[in-house]
Amino acid sequence: MKKFSNLLIKEIRELINKQLIFSFLFTFFLFYLIGQVARTEAKKAEAARRVAILDLDRSAVSRGLLDNLRLIRFQVEELETQDKEEAIAKAQEKNLPFLLIIPTGLGEGVEKLETEEIETYSFLRSFSMSEARYSDVFRVILEAANNYLSNEVLKKKLPEVSPDNLKKPLKSRDFVIVRNQRAEASASAIAGFVYAQSIFVPIILAMILIYSSQMVISAIALEKQNKTLETLLTVPISRSSIVAAKMLAAGIVGLLSALIYLAGFRWYMKGLTGDITAAAGGVTKIIKELGLTMTMGGSIVLVISLFLAILCALALATILGVLAEDYRSAQSLIMPLVFMVMIPYILSIFADLKTLSLPAKILVYAIPFSHPFMTAQNILLHNYRSIVFGIIYMFLVFIVLVFTAARIFSTDRVLTMKLRWRRKAVVL
Amino acid sequence: MAVILEVEELRKYYGQFEALKGISFEVNQGEIFGLIGPNGAGKTTTLRIIATLLTLSAGKVKLLGYDLKENPEKFRENISYLPEEAGAYRNLTGVDYLRFMAKFYDQSPEEWAKFIDRAVNIADLGPRLKDKVGTYSKGMVRKLLLARALMTKPVLAILDEPTSGLDVINSLEVREIIKRYAREGLSVLLSSHNMLEVEFLSDRVALIDQGRILAIGTPHELKEKYQAPNLEVVFRRAVE
Repeated sequence: MKKFSNLLIKEIRELINKQLIFSFLFTFFLFYLIGQVARTEAKKAEAARRVAILDLDRSAVSRGLLDNLRLIRFQVEELETQDKEEAIAKAQEKNLPFLLIIPTGLGEGVEKLETEEIETYSFLRSFSMSEARYSDVFRVILEAANNYLSNEVLKKKLPEVSPDNLKKPLKSRDFVIVRNQRAEASASAIAGFVYAQSIFVPIILAMILIYSSQMVISAIALEKQNKTLETLLTVPISRSSIVAAKMLAAGIVGLLSALIYLAGFRWYMKGLTGDITAAAGGVTKIIKELGLTMTMGGSIVLVISLFLAILCALALATILGVLAEDYRSAQSLIMPLVFMVMIPYILSIFADLKTLSLPAKILVYAIPFSHPFMTAQNILLHNYRSIVFGIIYMFLVFIVLVFTAARIFSTDRVLTMKLRWRRKAVVL
Repeated sequence: MAVILEVEELRKYYGQFEALKGISFEVNQGEIFGLIGPNGAGKTTTLRIIATLLTLSAGKVKLLGYDLKENPEKFRENISYLPEEAGAYRNLTGVDYLRFMAKFYDQSPEEWAKFIDRAVNIADLGPRLKDKVGTYSKGMVRKLLLARALMTKPVLAILDEPTSGLDVINSLEVREIIKRYAREGLSVLLSSHNMLEVEFLSDRVALIDQGRILAIGTPHELKEKYQAPNLEVVFRRAVE
């Protein structure tokens, strides 16, 4: 055991170097910074929006419209002029983002139930994401204006009827059924909430799998490049311990990197979307009613699934690492593994893996890393058969891979097996 | 003198290619046994098999009576191997590297300390041992690796081209160290294509060419047998 811990400590020391620590800190800081900037911009966009108005009508209807805009948190700045071009110049000078021109005769036209045209001007001063959000502002203004004007007309014509009831005679009560549990909520709200809560699982998984695998491949390739592998293989420690120490060290450092990046990513996402749980309000209660919360047992199953996927990746990376001649070729050899992680990762975000065509489904299910991407959903939906199949499949794949890796390390192949790109042949 | 290593009819195939064609020799306790031959003769393959890096295709190899096929771990406990092209972990200091290697051979800190003291004397790198290996010259790395190979006083030290890449002064020092340790009872199996070096170091020599041993004997015996002034001429005449 002492020999193993000696080797494990060396492996971890080799992996955690100054460059890695700097890269951790830099990435964490970068995520944090982007999140902060995004949050500041989002706050700016949510703040009372300034809008310049040129009211050429000055009727009771147009004045009412302006009051209504103020009610829905618009900061209205009326321009004292009668000329459109002068109004545009003034709005630009005052650095206002929008200008709305109410034409002469709006009030009269509305009274006669005629459609009137108002002109809107947006001053684009950059092409950032926050600037793009402003494009929605006029849609809100127009909707509010139409709502106000139609309500005013309806109140006058049919004073005994509520304008809202008249315009929307049908209202829906939405129910969601998950397995046998029913709750009053919209399906999109529930699906959106569960997605937002579990979005981190595939991200962490993809990160751990790729980082850990890259570390194992690089560690073995570096041993070859620095000519230290031969000496290590002749010291009195079993070959399986050498393989296990490399895998465990990469797993530990990979997990650490994933946690650090995840913390940074959470800051980033918080900046973009705000605090999900705080904003969710009543949805969390409905989620509980529907039984869509992760229990302790579910969490344990999820961890087992993630752990097996990591073991499969590390064992596969060990085999790929043996094929590498040096550190440079190791960077190319990681690619097949990255694809095997990215395919289910991307599919799990954009599609339902269960509804894929049969050939695609066979391909995806054959990749061991696909199963943990589905496990979180399967736990919530109580699809135990899929979970058990995934765990057994990953375990079997791990046994085959680790046996192959240990076999390679205990034979000549650890020194003689190379993948030569130029010759495109495996030399055994 | 007790025989510690027995190699009998050793064969090695790489696919269809027969790299070793049934070689046999023995190494006695406290003896420096040299394998000499040109590049590709089979010297490194022989050493790598005994060092447990390569598997043998046929024949027998025994160390202290233990069979290589059945007890490779016993070999690893009793040998230390210095490959021709070897390196040390660049991120570790010289001392950390020696400590890391020492911990595989004994469980007690007292023994580690003894190993490291011995290695410090052999390497003779002074305060540079506290620097990272990445900052060492090729010669310094080679001396560190030789110190690592000898510090545990193994039953058999397997040295492949021990002075490879060293300048004249460092080569002389390394040869002296190997001689000194052999006098203390250490057995050494070394290979080199520098036949004069082998002649200086070895008690007995095997001439190897194309996977076969052409002759075995003390340098003096071989020179007499082939009526040659040195081992280079002996080898040329043996091949002819």
